[in-house]
Order: sequence, then structure tokens, then C-alpha cells
Amino acid sequence: MKVLHIILQIAILYGFYSVGVWIQESLNLFIPGSIIGMILLFCLLVTKVIKPVWIETGAHTLMKDMPLLFLPVTIGIVNHLDLFVGKGLFLIAIVLISTAMVMICSGHITQVLLKRNDIHE
Amino acid sequence: MNSFLIGLSTLTATILLFFLTKKIYKKYPSPFTLPILTSTWVIVVGLLIFDIPYETYMIGGQWLDHLLGPVVVALAYPLYRQWPLLKMYMVPILSGVIVGSFIGISTGFIAAKWLGFSDTIIYSITSKSVTTPVSMDIANTIGGTTPLAAVFVMFAGIGGAVFGPSILKLSRVNLTIAKGVSMGTASHAIGTARSMENSELEAAVSTVSLTISAVIVAMITPTFVHVMMG
Repeated sequence: MKVLHIILQIAILYGFYSVGVWIQESLNLFIPGSIIGMILLFCLLVTKVIKPVWIETGAHTLMKDMPLLFLPVTIGIVNHLDLFVGKGLFLIAIVLISTAMVMICSGHITQVLLKRNDIHE
Repeated sequence: MNSFLIGLSTLTATILLFFLTKKIYKKYPSPFTLPILTSTWVIVVGLLIFDIPYETYMIGGQWLDHLLGPVVVALAYPLYRQWPLLKMYMVPILSGVIVGSFIGISTGFIAAKWLGFSDTIIYSITSKSVTTPVSMDIANTIGGTTPLAAVFVMFAGIGGAVFGPSILKLSRVNLTIAKGVSMGTASHAIGTARSMENSELEAAVSTVSLTISAVIVAMITPTFVHVMMG
């Protein structure tokens, strides 16, 4: 029964995704349908139209092993291996340096604003 | 062998391998034993050794792709659960995530363009700081390729998990909420998993940040790229 329960809840999430894609396509938006679906579900949760218990098991199941779902597309790198020799190594450096910059800046801005509001935890 | 059987066997092998690498990770936790990294290695090497084209592998692999949309939708749930926390620190968290997202997009884009990489690569690297399915969608919209986008996301995640705590310490980011914003905005789910080892609050803030940054990056990347490319 538990499996059926999970499948049903994932189907609800899939429904939101489909509505998101439909909205994206009919309004010709550049925001991904998945994000539109997420915002929609979030609004319906906050306004209590959707009860958390209707989706929480399904959401949990999907999120618990999220990397498994990314695996097939990540393996697509097998068709781009030539990219990571020679000059391509710069790409890895760009990603790492840019990631460090994001960390330092976002952390500092949050911290400065917290301290300005006198929050020191 | 018909394509259904090929699909079934590649899918089964992928799932079994993933759970095996997950067990290994539990026993030897380190950013370098992350299941997404070790599984990718094993399968890529396997495909190369046995000379199996990626397209054949994807007969089964694409079945998992159908869950990428719903998993992004599912992020609404943790966001909803952490809503009281977010409301309390709305301005500091949102400001950090918005500035961080913009820095992630612009530095990746500008550096790749400056070093003369092709447009496809530039478009694939731009959204590297958000969770894989969203990054893939963005890459698709602006003209990148999804596997490249996914690999850059993986590097951003692993890089953040390995160096993040030292970077935060060196740059004197020491408030828990600020650390959570950093990890989630820069290194999405992998960073959040690393935050979980520190504290529940840091992980909760990190989850909220990765979700909000996914929304923000999805909204501003197409416009940013449009403006930059003229």
C-alpha cells in the first residue's frame, strides 16, 4: 500500500509539473515549467488549499535520492570528454573560483544584514 | 536484444550501482566518494571500455529523466516547512541569495567568454550554481547542452563541499544563517548535504537558499545572457 501511496503523491507532483509546463508554453515564458509548478505548489501549500500530507511522502522519496535522477544526464559527459583536456581544464577552474566568490559574497551580505539587525544567534 | 530489454538492463544497472555507491559513501563519507561522482565515473569508464554509445545507455536512462520535473516541484515542500524561518530572516537571506546568484551567473559567463570558449560552453556554465534539473532547463532555454550543464553543477557542488567550510572560515563568515545561505546559493544540494554535518539550522537555511536561488537564477539568466550577447 505504501508504494501505491508514494506513486500517487509523485503523480500529484507530476501534475503540478505538467501544469507549469503548460503555463510556460501557453504564455511563452522563459522560466522553466518545473519552477512555475514549484511556485504554484508552494502558494497552494501556504494558502492551505493543498494539505502537506498529500505530497510529503512523495516529495521526500524523490528528494532522498535526487542524485540518482541526475545520473543519466551527467553521464552524457562521455560525449564531451575532449573538453576536459588542455584548455578545458580552465573550465573547472572557472567553476571553482566562481563558486568561491558566490560563497564569500552571499555569506558576507547575509552576515552584515543580520548583524545590523542585531542578530548574533 | 530489443530496446526495452536494453533499457531495462541499463536502468537496473544504474539503480543498483547508485545504491552500492551510496553504501560506500555511508561507510567512507567524503566529497570524493559522493555517489553522483563515483557512479558517474564507473558508468562512463564502463561505457568507454565496452564501447557502448551514450545513446544506447540512455534508452533506459531517459526513464529517470521523467522525474526531474517533479523533483523540482517537490522543493516547494521544504520551502513551505521552513517558511517561518525564512519570514523571520527574510531580508538578510533574500539579499544574500540574490547577490550570490547574480555573482554566480556573471562571473561564470564573463570568465568563459573572456577565455574564448564557444557559445555552447558559455551557455552551459552560466547556471552552474543551481540544482541540476533547473540548470539543465536553463541551459536548454539559452542554448547550452544539458550534460555539460550537469557536470558544471556537479563541480560547483563538490568544490563547495570540499573547500566551503575553509573558505567561510578564512573570510570570517561565522553566523550559522550566513553559512547556510553561502552553501545553498553556491553549492545547491551537495552543499546542503555538507551543511547537514554542521547543524540543522544551517542545513535548513541552505535548503531554502538553494530553492530560492533556483527561482532567481531561472528568472534572470535568460535576460542576462540576452543583454550580454547583444
